[in-house]
Amino acid sequence: MSEAVSDMQTPEGDEEQVVPVYVYGLVRAGTELPAGLEGLGPSGQVSTMVEGEVAAIVSDIPLDRPLGTRKDLLAHEAVVDAVAANAAVLPMRFPAVTAEDAVVEELLAPNQDHFLAVLDDLEGRVQYTLKGRYVEDAVLGEVLQANAEIRALQDKISELPEDASYYDRVRLGELVVNVLEEQREGDAAQILDRLEPFAVSLVANQPSQPEDVVNAAFLVERDRLGDFDEAVENLGSELDGRIRLRLLGPLAPYDFIPAE
Amino acid sequence: MTVSAQRGGGGGGVVERGGGGPGGGLADVIELILDKGLVIDVFVRVSLVGIEILTIDARIVVASVDTFLRFAEATNRADLYGKGAKPKDLGELTQSITEGGAKGKTSGALDAAVDKVGELLSSGREDREAAPRRRPRQRERDE
Repeated sequence: MSEAVSDMQTPEGDEEQVVPVYVYGLVRAGTELPAGLEGLGPSGQVSTMVEGEVAAIVSDIPLDRPLGTRKDLLAHEAVVDAVAANAAVLPMRFPAVTAEDAVVEELLAPNQDHFLAVLDDLEGRVQYTLKGRYVEDAVLGEVLQANAEIRALQDKISELPEDASYYDRVRLGELVVNVLEEQREGDAAQILDRLEPFAVSLVANQPSQPEDVVNAAFLVERDRLGDFDEAVENLGSELDGRIRLRLLGPLAPYDFIPAE
Repeated sequence: MTVSAQRGGGGGGVVERGGGGPGGGLADVIELILDKGLVIDVFVRVSLVGIEILTIDARIVVASVDTFLRFAEATNRADLYGKGAKPKDLGELTQSITEGGAKGKTSGALDAAVDKVGELLSSGREDREAAPRRRPRQRERDE
């Protein structure tokens, strides 16, 4: 059975034929998709498949190449975030490929109540992710000033040729990283305390690099977005020069999807 | 790079903004869509033949020694500000920090690594990273 299906709209004449679809996320039936969604399929179009009160956001997929390029990842994210900007959406994890028939029969129909309950919880709310990173020069200056051991080690290194100072440099870096990781906790707690009152819920993810201070997701009521935004901006001004904040959103509520 | 202010609230600020789509970097996207969200395989059992999914592992292990050396170097640079010829003018210094700031002046090890993955992904047809599978499934995780 060799099939080269490239069009989702292929009529269901042949019952052996499996039409693959990509699923971006789930919404309440009747949710209008924003115009201009392109998705990752060759058709450049995104549509919905509805069953009862839920709908899956779907598109075709490329069949002439493996899925998973940078462009595919960005396309997936672009679709769910664009929908999330105005509506509650349950985003899928990449890659979400299945057969067209299975979307209704296996995904939507049997799990409808569960999906609706989660969508209800997310209604009127949207995710923002805040990332904070130390401004290297400023914070390393602080670390040096406060820590005699690090300064001494630094002086020693400056007198040695590079080859001879390898282990001391590793040690120096380790000491600096330890200090940063210690002070991160206090700085992160301060940031989260300030913003928590503006969010329905928050998830603090583990920062991935020593200079990262905070990586937290906030679920915010749409009608409080202005307050939240203002609070972030005020905080950003206060921290300016020492910690740089970056606010991502509106995002699909990836951090607030309950485990299946 | 300057701070862009594409937000509903209006008014520019010190907080860098990025939304979904082209605004967000690949690193931000990977962190979300590969690690979080509903896993389709939990719900559907239909197998699809002939669809290849690239294996992607977003968790890039940065050797800690490299991280330490990077910080040692950064610390030695920071010291130039500390005792070397005093900064002529504080305004200038602040400006250089802010400018470098927007995109991260020493691009973090993770960013560099993610760029690398990005290259791999965009040259995805090479078979080294492509794992043909009988059906798409959640990528294996050893966690």
